[in-house]
Amino acid sequence: MSGRLAVENVFAGYDRTDVLTDVSLVAEPGRITCILGSNGSGKSTLIRAILGLTPPRTGRIVFNGHDLAGRDTHQIIRAGIACIPEGRKVFSRLTVAENLRLGAYQAGNEVARERMARVYGIFPRLAERAGQFTGTMSGGEQAMVSIGRGLMAAPKLLLIDEPSLGLSPLFVKENFSVIRRIQELGITVLLVEQNVRQTLAIAHYGYVLMQGRVVASGTAAELVENEEVRQAYFGDGVRPA
Amino acid sequence: MDIGLAGQYVLNGLMLGIIYAMVAVGFTLFFGVLDIIKFSHGDVLTVGAFTALAAYAGVTALGLQSPWLILGVIALAAIAGTAVLGALIARFLIMPMRGAPPINVLLLTLMLGTALRESVRLFYPNGSNPKMFPRLLPGGAANFGRFTLRYDSVLIFVAGVAVIVGVSLLINRSKLGLAIRAVAQDAETARVMGIDLEAVVLFTFALGSALAALAGVMNGMYYSEINFNMGLLLGLIGFSAAIIGGLGNIYGAILGGFLFAALQTIGAVLLPVSSAYKDVFAFAAVIVLMAWRPTGLIAEKSSERV
Ligand SMILES: Nc1ncnc2c1ncn2[C@@H]1O[C@H](COP(=O)(O)OP(=O)(O)O)[C@@H](O)[C@H]1O
Ligand SMILES: [Mg+2]
Repeated sequence: MSGRLAVENVFAGYDRTDVLTDVSLVAEPGRITCILGSNGSGKSTLIRAILGLTPPRTGRIVFNGHDLAGRDTHQIIRAGIACIPEGRKVFSRLTVAENLRLGAYQAGNEVARERMARVYGIFPRLAERAGQFTGTMSGGEQAMVSIGRGLMAAPKLLLIDEPSLGLSPLFVKENFSVIRRIQELGITVLLVEQNVRQTLAIAHYGYVLMQGRVVASGTAAELVENEEVRQAYFGDGVRPA
Repeated sequence: MDIGLAGQYVLNGLMLGIIYAMVAVGFTLFFGVLDIIKFSHGDVLTVGAFTALAAYAGVTALGLQSPWLILGVIALAAIAGTAVLGALIARFLIMPMRGAPPINVLLLTLMLGTALRESVRLFYPNGSNPKMFPRLLPGGAANFGRFTLRYDSVLIFVAGVAVIVGVSLLINRSKLGLAIRAVAQDAETARVMGIDLEAVVLFTFALGSALAALAGVMNGMYYSEINFNMGLLLGLIGFSAAIIGGLGNIYGAILGGFLFAALQTIGAVLLPVSSAYKDVFAFAAVIVLMAWRPTGLIAEKSSERV
């Protein structure tokens, strides 16, 4: 059961309008589950609902058998969820090391030091730049900080929202291999991505959101064949590699 | 000018500077974590000074003799009382206003300040009149020609510097300080890191308020007098100092405090007619500074806070 997330009949949104309408999905433990959908279909809102930033109006979000309803974001994080947010959201006026330390905010100094050493093992470049203000780094380096910061929490479930947005193809490729390594560590991954081919290549299961509703779901292989997905992403008749 | 007199002016300027800096740091912290201007800050200072005075009456009634012990107790009372007051204000008045237009928060805290001020006047015994603040520090002075260095002034100044250094260490070196800086930059992402936003905000308001209380007590010890509207001018000066320094920047606020004191001192030297003009001079200079550097001397880069 470790790291299982179930979203059940969730309605959520901003002000008076619902963005998510009756969304249900499951992220199975230790797997990569992806959320596909065009811009504005509600993917980030779903992530925000899980994190308690945009609490669901109705419906349940169950993590490891516990209903997250009514919990504040820091309590949801304590339950073992972490997030690599859309747009990276690094603290630009803090150093790389400070950003990473914040990723393990609820852990003690000793534990944080160990995890930081591990993150530096994955991204040696961050070790070289530990004392640098994050805002002065390149987009790709900031993406490393954001991913490393998410790993610092040593979460059971990692929510990843469009990690390759605005990155060069080389970095995008590296991102995907890092995500696969994250999953190999036993972490459940809920991945939001626009890059459908590469996403389906590493994901086990996926859901397609359209205007805030789940319109299709299935294994990665099924989604590749799915009409909605093909029309939305691959254009007519083009088969993904 | 006579060297001794010049020394006296410099010493007085440094004393005022450290007091202003302590008030300004509060403004800058509140703005950092919540993007608000808290106009009741000066009156929280007044409450702190009167809490110390009330505590003094209490402990002397209990027969406490040692001036150091008395000083410790009344300073702690002022710190604890205003820290709780600051946290309550944040929890029940300011946090619920998150998302409201900033002008509403401004109005709310203006009214709150007036309420605090008038409460001190009405409910403190004989509160309309200036109150003697006890001399608890050792008397005595060293004389250098016409320059008199009072030992108590030196002690107050050193204590102020220690407090300011302590606060900047807390902000820049501790985990809690890291959380405060993270909240100041991006509150939502800070929450995603697992930071309890409300706890950080309440702590920040408690800290800023306690600083104001200490500034009020130091001011009382320096002039041996406090009154119910002392926070009005000190609050305005602290706010100006925070603005000159670049709101949201702690070092800027400290610099701004000393700069304002320097301006007042220059005003007092240049306009010897009446010392009241020194404030007019200092505020006029602040207006000129703001026209020249609208975002403060240490300009805030778009994301730079605390
Ligand atoms: N903070 C917000 N306030 C109001 N509406 C929002 C906010 N964020 C997103 N929306 C709206 O919610 C819808 C879904 O947005 P989002 O969840 O960001 O989609 P996606 O991540 O799939 O691109 C959009 O119509 C968007 O305009
Ligand atoms: Mg999005």
